[in-house]
Amino acid sequence: MNDIAGGGAPLTDLGRRLVGGSLSDEAIQRATEATPNFAILPWVNVVKIGGQSIMDRGRSAVGPVVDEIVANLSRHKMILGTGAGTRARHVYSLAIDLGLPVGVLTVLGTAVAWQNAQMLQYLLAKHGIAFLEPEGFASLPHYLMERGAVICQGMPPYKLWEPNPAVGRIPPQRTDTGCFLIAEVFGARKMIYVKDEDGLFSADPKKDAKATHIPRISVQELLARDLNDLIVERAVLDLMLNARNIKEIQFINGLKPGQLTAALDGEPVGTIIFNAAATGKAA
Amino acid sequence: MSAGDAGGQHVVSRLMRESLMDKQVIAGTEAPVRAILPNLNVVQIGGLSIMDRGHKAVLPLLEEVVANQEQYTQVIGVGPGVRARHILSVGLDLGLPTGALATLAAKSSAQNAYMVSCLLANNGFVYLEAPFIVQLLPAMLAAARGAVFNGIPPYDLWEHPPALGKIPPHGSDAGAYLVGEVFGARMIILVKDVDGLYMADPKTRPDAAFIPQIGAADLMQLQLPTLPIEPVVLELLTRGKLAKSIRIVNGLVPGNLTRALAGEAVGTLIHA
Repeated sequence: MNDIAGGGAPLTDLGRRLVGGSLSDEAIQRATEATPNFAILPWVNVVKIGGQSIMDRGRSAVGPVVDEIVANLSRHKMILGTGAGTRARHVYSLAIDLGLPVGVLTVLGTAVAWQNAQMLQYLLAKHGIAFLEPEGFASLPHYLMERGAVICQGMPPYKLWEPNPAVGRIPPQRTDTGCFLIAEVFGARKMIYVKDEDGLFSADPKKDAKATHIPRISVQELLARDLNDLIVERAVLDLMLNARNIKEIQFINGLKPGQLTAALDGEPVGTIIFNAAATGKAA
Repeated sequence: MSAGDAGGQHVVSRLMRESLMDKQVIAGTEAPVRAILPNLNVVQIGGLSIMDRGHKAVLPLLEEVVANQEQYTQVIGVGPGVRARHILSVGLDLGLPTGALATLAAKSSAQNAYMVSCLLANNGFVYLEAPFIVQLLPAMLAAARGAVFNGIPPYDLWEHPPALGKIPPHGSDAGAYLVGEVFGARMIILVKDVDGLYMADPKTRPDAAFIPQIGAADLMQLQLPTLPIEPVVLELLTRGKLAKSIRIVNGLVPGNLTRALAGEAVGTLIHA
């Protein structure tokens, strides 16, 4: 066997175990817990602009959100991810009818989030805001330092490699998940979801007038409630339980001017979902 | 709860105004899936188990791939091996997150895949990066009945933080499985340096009992301390719509790949 551990710089104790052992060995996995957590971009805020909730509404909803983004450019650094929305629903329906697999639906959905990201970028272009594909993310720190924000499409780049959901045919990891994972890998300051409601309610406020607002709830409690419908992709809640950097996510109403600014300033507007068991993994 | 109202500009579809987080809506999308490339055979070559051993292990295996090229369409996934272990070690020591580690490790398997494609180039195999798998795979297979891809899926910075520790959970076994699943491949063969699954690690326990065939859910319940494949593959198998099994074979034994391609019961079959 061509050995990498001989000669040269000595490996750490963990390094020797990694080179020689099985990565599926629980003892080795546990040993990696003891390594430090370096936050790559601790000052960045990831802001997801909803597809159906914001972009599909056109100028009346997107215009004020764009104005608020511009007003915050010099105050907060932002990675702006976009959702997909109604065209994704159409193409998912069609592709399911054609018998195409989940991985293909993911490729198709990504194109819709990409369209929304492009439109958002046209609106912000005169402020020097760039659009980055996943392959261009190495340039992201530069754009953030120079211009205060960048735009990306919100889908994770899983494409054909998107795993099946437990039930049904809709790709389970969409733009909520993609934006969450960007925030997690960079150790971001905040993960803010801009939707068209004030956050989480006890029932769907569009269908039930008696629904009450929930300003703050733990991910554990939310999962335990096993609600039929959610404000966020279930994959995000599952990932929150394992996340090392992101301890809470915030949902705000982009149709109400000032909510995005308030959230960026650290105010508890909308709904915050937090990880009640996150203390042990703090960076 | 993201169902739109009159403010949205909608395209008419079955899912219009529906919440894609709604359990009933999700369940309503259950329907048969078509196999896109049903003649495909996904062959995953292990990094540590095969590639790192050099020509003594790699060349006989690739000769077997070529010998089967006429009869079977093969896409060859390749794993990263010891260089990924090394960069995981350095990256962990620096405090880098799982997504960064996944991006780094994927370069090691890309190197291995590229080397394999060079060794198979004379037979028309090309190395396809993920975007080209998405766009060009059928054309490449029509031209040569073969292609090589990076076994590690293109999750990069978006790799999931695992429940325990920081090692990226989706490696080249998961990537190979997912390629097989999305194309509806005929079979998925993971080529390793062990004969298959044992009740214990045969390298330390020579008397360990061999498992010729087992269900993924049953295998998860056994909670074996180490597996010759990534545990996440078992979970993916339980949700498989088209790829309902994977076969683990020993690539150091001549003829095993050929037997597996022919559908013989060599190695271990793990089924959904």
